[in-house]
Amino acid sequence: MKKHLPTHQDDANDLYGVSVKTGFPNPSIDSPLDSPDFNKLIIRHPVATYCMRISGNSWERLGVFDGDIVVIDRAIVPTPIDLVVWWEGGFALSRHSRMPLSTELWGVVTAIIHQYR
Amino acid sequence: MKRSVFALIDCNNFFVSCERLFRPDLEGRPVVVLSSNDGCAVSRSNEAKALGIPMGAPAFKYRETFRRESVVQFSANFELYGDISRRITQLLTSITPRIEVYSVDESFLDLSELGITDYEAWGREVCRLVRQWIGVPISIGIAPSKTLAKLGAAHAKTHPEARGVYSFIDKPAAEIESLLKAASLRDIWGVGRRLAPQLQSMGIVNAYELSRLSQNLARQLMGSKHGAQLVAELNGTSCFGLVEEGTPAKSISRTRTFGEDTTDLGVLEAAVANFCARAGHTLRRDGLMARRASVFVTSSKHKPNYKTWSREVRFQMPTADTGRLASSLIKVLQAVKAEHMEYHRAGVLLYDLLPKESLQTDLLGYVDPGAHDKSNRRMHALDAMNLKYGKETLRFASELLAQSWQPKYHLRSPRYATRWNELQKVRIII
Repeated sequence: MKKHLPTHQDDANDLYGVSVKTGFPNPSIDSPLDSPDFNKLIIRHPVATYCMRISGNSWERLGVFDGDIVVIDRAIVPTPIDLVVWWEGGFALSRHSRMPLSTELWGVVTAIIHQYR
Repeated sequence: MKRSVFALIDCNNFFVSCERLFRPDLEGRPVVVLSSNDGCAVSRSNEAKALGIPMGAPAFKYRETFRRESVVQFSANFELYGDISRRITQLLTSITPRIEVYSVDESFLDLSELGITDYEAWGREVCRLVRQWIGVPISIGIAPSKTLAKLGAAHAKTHPEARGVYSFIDKPAAEIESLLKAASLRDIWGVGRRLAPQLQSMGIVNAYELSRLSQNLARQLMGSKHGAQLVAELNGTSCFGLVEEGTPAKSISRTRTFGEDTTDLGVLEAAVANFCARAGHTLRRDGLMARRASVFVTSSKHKPNYKTWSREVRFQMPTADTGRLASSLIKVLQAVKAEHMEYHRAGVLLYDLLPKESLQTDLLGYVDPGAHDKSNRRMHALDAMNLKYGKETLRFASELLAQSWQPKYHLRSPRYATRWNELQKVRIII
């Protein structure tokens, strides 16, 4: 029987075709439409977030590839170990501590996304 | 009674600033953004202004100047500007929901309820926030009336010592007087190109003199209602409230009757683009997206041959994106030419609305425009979307169009903020 989930058989009330164990509510009843939202996971400040693409293979052994998407948040104040983006004859990415003093911070990298297929 | 306080948030050289955000190397260089048909300059960097390139400068006339001075030229990239504009509106809305999106690069905020004590400090913080978070420079004018707020922003923009902000609140009368004396009539909201020469011929050459006009004379010169209101606004009495929208609607419409009937498609496109910016803002504010939109145009009922025309657009993916709305509607709008009518009134209606939560969105928070979107032939005369450039610019753009100038996009920058395949590149420094 499909509508009785095996782990919920004890003490189950059959509600709306979903079996529920008393004291341990099935969260899917409350919010049937919520699936994990990648926007919320990756973007803290939507108005301040822009994306760029990695150009080149110099970090391949770290798992960062040409064409990967860099998520950049301009609202964050960087610490020295944060990855940041600045302009130096082109956009450049590295640790904040490596950014030349003469250049202006463009934004802080919050994620790099690699799609395998 | 609580006193009214308005802020005008005005983006500096907005289109150029959007281009520079993704091209920081253009900082300090003369840059112009041309109308999409590459007709005329619709946004100029300060360096370009210093070279004497006027607003609306036709590209062909200034080709030599552009070459000699290495002026960097762009075709209007409306999708980019629309995205940056949306971000700014969103940020401002998080400061206060009492906002009126006046045009693509100007918004009024009602500050009277915010309990701000130091308005200039508040303004500088907003400037810093928009500059850092979104990446474009703005100027802010703060005043008891919208008309003064606009003058304040214009003053802040041209006076570096103001550091981006001018507030009329609690300023000594003498200071306000000298600022108004320095403000030309054309900078005054609601005076415009038609009224300014008329006032000048009466010896009224600046905002101060206009503000000293007797109510009677003001009524005579500028119409009974408008004249009195304008003078009152210049004296710090608010007559024009914030134009806000009401509760979430089943449909959203924006319409306008033109000052004078026109056969100029550029004027029509400008109006439609502005309707889209404002209606799009309302959509996003209410968390809605539109599945359908229509655009309509009518001729005057009081003239023979009364005609109405309209077209509907359906979006495969519902949208609240100003750029998408405007580009689709302007595309279908081209067919109105065949009607050979005088445009009297036009409007945009968004309907079949649905809450945006019911959709999967992409990483940047809105629905993927879709690979099928062939509406690359975007934004004819979107220059025009900004009211402040005035009708003459528009007329000029479409005169050039009339000389069978085909839309050209070769100078358009990538749509850095809205297309996955047009993102800016970044290299890793080891």
